[in-house]
Amino acid sequence: MRVRIRVRYNAPHMRRFDYFAPTSVEEAVSLLQERGDGARLLAGGTDLLVQMKEAGVHPSAVVSLHAVDELRGISDESDGGLRIGARTLMNDVAAHETVRGAYTALAEGAGVLGSTQTRNMATIGGNIANAAPSADTAPPLAVFDAEAEIAGPGGTRTLPVIELFSGPGSTTLETAEVITAFRLPAVPDHTGSAYQRHTPRKTMDIATVGVSVKLTLADDGSIGDAAICLGAVAPTVIRAGEAERALAGETPSDELFASAGELAQAAASPISDVRGSAEFRRYLIGVMTRRCLGIALERAQA
Amino acid sequence: MTTYTTVGKPIPRVEGTHKVTGNSTYAADVQLPGMLHCKLLRSPYAHAKIVSIDTTKAAAHAGVERIVTADDLPEFEARYMSNRAYNLLAGEEVVFHGQPVAAVLATDATAAEEALELIDAVYEELPAVFDPLDAMRDDAPPARAPVGEIDRSESKGHVTVEVEEEQSDKPSNVVSQTKFSRGDVEAGFAESDVVVERTWRSAMMHQGYIEPHATVASYDPISEELTIWTATQGQFFVRDQISRMLRIPETKIRVIGTELGGGFGGKIFLTQSLAAVLTRITSRPVKLVFSRSDDLVGANPAGQCVVDLKTGMKNDGTVTALQTKVIYNSGAYPGAPVVIGAILIGGYYKFPNLEIEACEVLTNKVSVGAIRAPGAHNVTLAIESQMDMMARELERDPLDVRMQNAVEAGDEMPSKAVYSSIGLKECLKAVQDSEIWRDRNERPATPGKRRGVGIAVGGWLGGLQPAGAHVELNGDGTLNVIVGSNDITGTNTSFAQIVAEELAVPLDMVNVVTGDTKTAPFAGMSAGSKTLFTVGRAVKAAAEDVRSQLLGVAAERLQAKVEELEWKDGVISVGGDAEKSIKFRQLAGITTGFGAQYPPVIGRGAISARQQAPGFTAQVAEVEVDEETGEVTLLRWGIAQDAGFAINPLSVAGQMQGGATQGMGIALWEEMLHDEGGRLINDGLLDYRMPTALDVPNIETYIVEVPSEDGPYGARGVGEPSIIPGAAAVGNAIEDAIGVRVAEAPFTPERILRAMGKI
Amino acid sequence: MTTAETTTETPREASALEKVTVRYTINGEQREVEIAPNRTLLEVVRDELRLTGAKEGCGTGDCGACSMIVDGKLITSCLMLAPQADGSEITTIEGVAQDGKLHPLQQQFIDHGAVQCGFCIPGMILAGKALLDSNPAPSELEIREAIAGNLCRCTGYTKIVEAIAAAAD
Repeated sequence: MRVRIRVRYNAPHMRRFDYFAPTSVEEAVSLLQERGDGARLLAGGTDLLVQMKEAGVHPSAVVSLHAVDELRGISDESDGGLRIGARTLMNDVAAHETVRGAYTALAEGAGVLGSTQTRNMATIGGNIANAAPSADTAPPLAVFDAEAEIAGPGGTRTLPVIELFSGPGSTTLETAEVITAFRLPAVPDHTGSAYQRHTPRKTMDIATVGVSVKLTLADDGSIGDAAICLGAVAPTVIRAGEAERALAGETPSDELFASAGELAQAAASPISDVRGSAEFRRYLIGVMTRRCLGIALERAQA
Repeated sequence: MTTYTTVGKPIPRVEGTHKVTGNSTYAADVQLPGMLHCKLLRSPYAHAKIVSIDTTKAAAHAGVERIVTADDLPEFEARYMSNRAYNLLAGEEVVFHGQPVAAVLATDATAAEEALELIDAVYEELPAVFDPLDAMRDDAPPARAPVGEIDRSESKGHVTVEVEEEQSDKPSNVVSQTKFSRGDVEAGFAESDVVVERTWRSAMMHQGYIEPHATVASYDPISEELTIWTATQGQFFVRDQISRMLRIPETKIRVIGTELGGGFGGKIFLTQSLAAVLTRITSRPVKLVFSRSDDLVGANPAGQCVVDLKTGMKNDGTVTALQTKVIYNSGAYPGAPVVIGAILIGGYYKFPNLEIEACEVLTNKVSVGAIRAPGAHNVTLAIESQMDMMARELERDPLDVRMQNAVEAGDEMPSKAVYSSIGLKECLKAVQDSEIWRDRNERPATPGKRRGVGIAVGGWLGGLQPAGAHVELNGDGTLNVIVGSNDITGTNTSFAQIVAEELAVPLDMVNVVTGDTKTAPFAGMSAGSKTLFTVGRAVKAAAEDVRSQLLGVAAERLQAKVEELEWKDGVISVGGDAEKSIKFRQLAGITTGFGAQYPPVIGRGAISARQQAPGFTAQVAEVEVDEETGEVTLLRWGIAQDAGFAINPLSVAGQMQGGATQGMGIALWEEMLHDEGGRLINDGLLDYRMPTALDVPNIETYIVEVPSEDGPYGARGVGEPSIIPGAAAVGNAIEDAIGVRVAEAPFTPERILRAMGKI
Repeated sequence: MTTAETTTETPREASALEKVTVRYTINGEQREVEIAPNRTLLEVVRDELRLTGAKEGCGTGDCGACSMIVDGKLITSCLMLAPQADGSEITTIEGVAQDGKLHPLQQQFIDHGAVQCGFCIPGMILAGKALLDSNPAPSELEIREAIAGNLCRCTGYTKIVEAIAAAAD
């Protein structure tokens, strides 16, 4: 068989593009609207630049958000919740006192991503918009039922974070929409959360499996509410609904958590890739969900 | 015992501060006016016929100056074509995925890369073979057209062995093999109380230098001189090869070995010849810098290896017999370390009976190069795992059985060569005395985990090559030392120590410089753990020459006999008489000043090394295994190594720690993974995982000094041994922890869980 | 990774390229340079400003050899577009020694034998500096975490960790 083939070879240099650095969300949205589908939004760059160098992503225009100050920062909400600007750096999320105290799983997710350097560049909005099934902040945001604030040509809207994802690398965002912030609802008393991931190396790696759990205990010590979200084991991060329901109202125990782990395994549809086989991933979900529940329980009881 | 003033002391590197201030020049830092950037179009197939390459569109792209394919290259004699270096760009056939087929030269790198996409190459796919066992089958497709005589000039720089491989007569993917035997293995197994037989696999892995390959070449058509700035471990080797390939006299070639960002055997000769050809074609400077992906896909990594090993031991711990077949996958060109693997697998212990067969097999993977101790870690995984398994079976201490059977000076290697003085037992003793080994049964594991400790040994025979050095006395009494060896990790500091020692001057009076191939005396490759062993001897000889010249001048000046002279603190005197003395500095003046009566003092050192000084190591690893996730954490690590005499213990320890860490990488993470089409799927440093600072523990070093017979002050090569036993030590520690043996490195969580039957 | 494909998209012509002007305060010095926006900070600093201390080891943020400190934060300059750093204060390895004297970290790297081939060292020293600037007395684990994004293939890290710890004393 004769084949005519053109090779796109991994290149350290990016192709040419037009560059824009708007100073407001409004300006960013209108630039995206003008440039259409060829335009890409640049937040921290740790995913986009790698894709532009090695994954054949060649945008005709890059709209950088680095000069849009309104997208940065973490603030308390009047309802007791927290608002995190989309361009907040991972290291700032991981170090924030309220995030560490009330939204521990999110601090853990933001804190394990990449290296010091990555966390000084990568943003929480970028991590979500990039929509990798292995994104370390996605399962934590999902277990806290976080909502994304989205600005677009037609105004603003909000959407639960979990509904943003439509597949590996793809979102339900419309053309020219920009994630501006995440709103995390207030966390009830006696709540504990955790994010655990498996990586081949201790750090500088991407999750083979990620699990986030949030447990809220009732006054009698039973589980009032449970949320479990799995990363890197399906085309998007997924909630393990059956496992969550099986926990609600029950008294925490090793057996209960083990069976929740089994239900979580059933929810997943992992693939085999360079970081591990589907079988290995499915196996890990059971162990890690059980362990993650144990950690969250300890924190809820503290 | 001789006491020394400068050698044997831990000395921080003397060659100045340039490496910590960013002022070193590496090859990719070289920028020349009018320079063209070269990017390579690489084959998307592992094995295919090239039907056509249409470069019309690419050549018209803005910024592109020239596109070169095999048609534009000089023709080489067929007998050289077994050598990867002569296959600059594929002509008729591509034999591995990523093989260069065209070179684009453009005014900037982006334009060159854009043009790559515009080249229209048409291929006809051919059957390919990737696994060495598949490639050995009678019905296997040939990985490539038959190779001619095998050109092994490069691999000899890493280890010097007196055995030649046999080449196969019939067309086969098995291109060479070696056999050694001793005694009667059947009888040996018959008298054994335990016999272990296993197949061990170790993965293709990359040397992992942080600086990708880089060369800048510039040809001046008027003077016909070729200048090459390049990242190489062997600038003279590059010069010689280019001279031979392009038929340019060596006087017209200047190879400047720039500061080298790590080599580990992988940076000898790869990009230089192509860059040289391209600058000759264009008469403009050409810069060829690999991206990381270029380097992982298309450099010369260390090959995959399969070892079938059967070993026996008696109840009293004595080894009886060893039978093995060692198969190296050498990729698309020959060059795997067959003989050394065959020697080492039977070369650590006194097996009275052995039968060793080793071969190299061609496949459609990228061809392999050297690595720190090429071939050694693969076979060591096998033998050192089985030593542990046999000891375990017989309930004997794994360190004791090693000590009991370890080779010593006078013992024969499987090749029948005889060991000179060696320090294997001394290394084992050092590990035995280490805290990690002593309290191996005492430290509690973290809850939910299992702790284990493992040991393993390794050895390297070392390379041999002649070398020269100059030492010159400057007008102010300081000394310049000129060598031709590329200093990667501090050998020049040790040379300074040698000269300071020999001439009894402070270290800061000695300046060592690595010259280029037009200015420096000859030196071999900085490979094979031999730089200090060979060039160091030349430096010492040159310093001795300076000493005798100075004594001659002083004797004449002081009207005394040389034997009457005393040499102390930079003053030469007649019997210590201050009145009848001359200072070093004055001697310098009367040999260099205007109208000086005496000729300049220029010491010459030139040596040929004939006797190897094998270096052994023993290492101990403490690990913790998470039985549920298969995760292995390295907790403590100790390495004992025989340095013969540590001229600079600081840099010896650094070599030991660095090599040990590469061994840890081989044990747990490093593996080049290919898809079913032979394409590398982890061609970046995210998924080709080298250990980070969080993955490895502090490494304790125990320097052992069993003097070598030939090395300067008894020193022996230290570069290579440290990488060798890591995988075996970790595997032994894992079995100690969880009772499970994993026979394929790296020992990933997935492989461990499978061995445990959990998945 | 390498992908084979059959698209015939033509790269845009070089002439279509619009340059942008960026201003940096680099190692205390004001520099202004006109560049194509597809250049990374690393490329511009190396090729245009001719500060070649920062190295490219991977181009994808996985080795740390290109690390610089930008507005007080350690980043990998191969993953930052040059215009993203417009107006920033940048420290490269060339700016670590002050007034003709080595920074204590640089001296400790030499004294502890933490430098072998040297290719990772510029990034490694900047990672150490960024750590010590915010945490003057780090634990061994904190040091290892801080340099985990900087691969070294020669030393096995032991002597690097010792050097940073010594500089902290």
